[in-house]
Amino acid sequence: MTRGIRRALAGLLALGLLAGACSSDDDDGDTAADDEATEETPVATGATIRVPDDHDTIQAAVDAARPGDLVLIAPGVYEEAVDVTVENLTIRGLDRNEVILDGGFELENGLRVLADGVAIENMTARNYTTNGFFWTGVTGYRGSYLTAYRNGDYGVYAFDSVKGQLEHIYASGSPDAGIYIGQCYPCDAVISDVISEYNGLGYSGTNSGGNLLIVNSTFRHNRAGIVPNSGSYELCYPERETTIVGNVVYDNNQPDTPAIDVALLAMGNGILVAGGNRNVIERNLVFDHERTGIGLVPFPEEEANDLVPDPDTWDTPCAEVREEPLPDHPEDALALVLWDPQQNSVRGNVVSGSGVADLAFGSLQEDLAGLGNCFSGNTFETTAPNDLEALAPCDGAPTATDWTGGALDLLALMTAEQPPSVDYREAPTPEPLAQPNMPDAETAPPRPAIDVPFAVDLDAIAVPERPAGT
Amino acid sequence: MRARPLGRLLTVALAALFLAASCSSDGDGAAERAPEDDRADERAAGDDPSGGHAPGHGHEPVDADAGADVAPVRGRGAGMGPQGRVPQFVIECPWSHSAPDDPIVHPGHPGRAHLHDFFGNTSTDAHSTTASLVAAGDTSCATKADTAAYWAPALLRDGEPVRPYTAIAYYRPGLGVDPATVQPFPEGLVVIAGDQTATTPQPLDVAAWHCGASPVLHSDPPSCPDTAPLAVRVVFPDCWDGEHLDSDDHQSHMAYSEDGTCPRSHPVPVPQLIFEVRYPVTGDPAGLALASGGVRSLHADFMQAWDQAGLEREVEVCLNGQRVCGVVSNRATG
Repeated sequence: MTRGIRRALAGLLALGLLAGACSSDDDDGDTAADDEATEETPVATGATIRVPDDHDTIQAAVDAARPGDLVLIAPGVYEEAVDVTVENLTIRGLDRNEVILDGGFELENGLRVLADGVAIENMTARNYTTNGFFWTGVTGYRGSYLTAYRNGDYGVYAFDSVKGQLEHIYASGSPDAGIYIGQCYPCDAVISDVISEYNGLGYSGTNSGGNLLIVNSTFRHNRAGIVPNSGSYELCYPERETTIVGNVVYDNNQPDTPAIDVALLAMGNGILVAGGNRNVIERNLVFDHERTGIGLVPFPEEEANDLVPDPDTWDTPCAEVREEPLPDHPEDALALVLWDPQQNSVRGNVVSGSGVADLAFGSLQEDLAGLGNCFSGNTFETTAPNDLEALAPCDGAPTATDWTGGALDLLALMTAEQPPSVDYREAPTPEPLAQPNMPDAETAPPRPAIDVPFAVDLDAIAVPERPAGT
Repeated sequence: MRARPLGRLLTVALAALFLAASCSSDGDGAAERAPEDDRADERAAGDDPSGGHAPGHGHEPVDADAGADVAPVRGRGAGMGPQGRVPQFVIECPWSHSAPDDPIVHPGHPGRAHLHDFFGNTSTDAHSTTASLVAAGDTSCATKADTAAYWAPALLRDGEPVRPYTAIAYYRPGLGVDPATVQPFPEGLVVIAGDQTATTPQPLDVAAWHCGASPVLHSDPPSCPDTAPLAVRVVFPDCWDGEHLDSDDHQSHMAYSEDGTCPRSHPVPVPQLIFEVRYPVTGDPAGLALASGGVRSLHADFMQAWDQAGLEREVEVCLNGQRVCGVVSNRATG
């Protein structure tokens, strides 16, 4: 049986089409069926395993589960760091606000997922030294109705993983990003209906992209809002082809969050593309930033591992890059590598209230036009350089050529002092308000992450209305 | 985005742009040598994976100037490069304490060793055994299951200790080794990597200096920019003889794999521990030395006192499972 067919079968079973037994798996003991839950013939029973009724801990329940099962967790505080190594599980809390994984500033990850197709739903993870929810190296992942706050690196973190959906998430109080998808191309993932606030970065994605959508979400009160970025310190550079549409991005100037150094550097910007490429930034509502609303800037990397790959190679999937030997560039060339923003498209956004410029684009090299970024149809008051939509329109020829007037002063921006980071354990991250629960948590069938990402009708997304009270 | 010390990054970037790339040069002028010469040096010093773990972690005084007439070398370490390429788990262990103790070389004799910086288990002293470390159970590491003891000679600047801010322990399959075959370190394993008596360059794939996350390795401390401070990297052998937890020289029960294969004498592939110590040191490396002698006497010690179940889980899910369980490529520098 091929892996794909096995997975499909597991999915069907998990969706309850072929199996109705929703009892605990504890009664079947060490039967042959157990042994078959392996590479050869996974058994997808669609069973429901309850915590703490069937197992005292989430880890024990997850370990006892088989592909397609549902692990259903009752309200309580669980001081666990859970590893998930069984494919196609659905791990669900009965109440998002009352099923709480707590790392006590000692444990590393709330849930660390190392198996394909695992969905996590309707729970909270807080006080972990690294991440609240973490998928790595998987195909198929979904996080829905999750709350992650006061975690030491990321709230929700997908690394080296493809085919994902992160939705209805609230993430706050992390020094790196509230929500992060990195090292994947094509990522085939969707971030939608999330709120990310009081983090160093609302969203960060290093070397990710390719059918990666960030839509219908809110990024506010972070140091910086949405920050796709590139660097050769991790694989699959550069960042490219992230689609950012229909988000509300405002007041990302928060001075008292935990913050990695890059968050300090990026502070005061709404959507900041730091050395990212071929991103589509459309129909976002962006306002009230001390620096730029939407900015395209370079990321200078010192002591780099590699040079910027030729754009002709950017279509190479990450999986293939992994197998390639590292080019043997002269060492001095690696002392400083500039990741310029290239071929980004900024259209139809509504941007206001920016201290430096609503729309901005800068580089450390002179030929800005040659980088192929474009701006059209935005609503704005200020740009840097001046007349940016005339200098670099997305359609038609430029109607202006002076790139020097009002140019972005990168040096001044990047050397300015910023309020220092606050320890994530001590930062005044607000306790989250009660967040919406998923529908029918008690009765909904398991739904492993084999059908993600969900389709998004980008054309149907309009510029969001300004939130009440802002 | 990974944390980087970027507060003054653009200043540095511009300086580097306009003032030439001096930040990767060796402190003593090796940068002026042609790249092909560097590669030749790397071959000469780095291609023999057995050459860097000569026995002799003794306590004879080392003449820091001996061998100073042998040119420094630099090159790219095999298997380095962007993180996320190979399976790994990574433990960050901030500095715990310093003492002139060495429970491997001078067990039971406090004060007899050169000054060491200790990481991981917070109880490590001259009387420590792997059993006592496990029993003590407290660690500076972010991963609480890692109660192992790691230490390295203290870095001195003009004779004064420079306190490192952290160490990173990378656990990976040896270069080219089938990750599925890697077994956890046995309980109680003790091992030293690198040669504390060296006065000439050690193989860069065993012991080297570098800046930040740079893949460019040096036998002598380079001048590092603010955004990529000085670090040392010691690569432990990844093959065990399957029998002995220690040996007279604390090395010969272990060996390095070659072309992805462990030698017959040491047939058990275990994780390759790459131990990196990061220092708040940038700029001119003049005046730097190690407490064990000159800057070429790099070595590190490891007493395997993990919570064994925790270690076994990490090896299974990350290395055998072939996943990148973490990266610390450029985490904040404290």
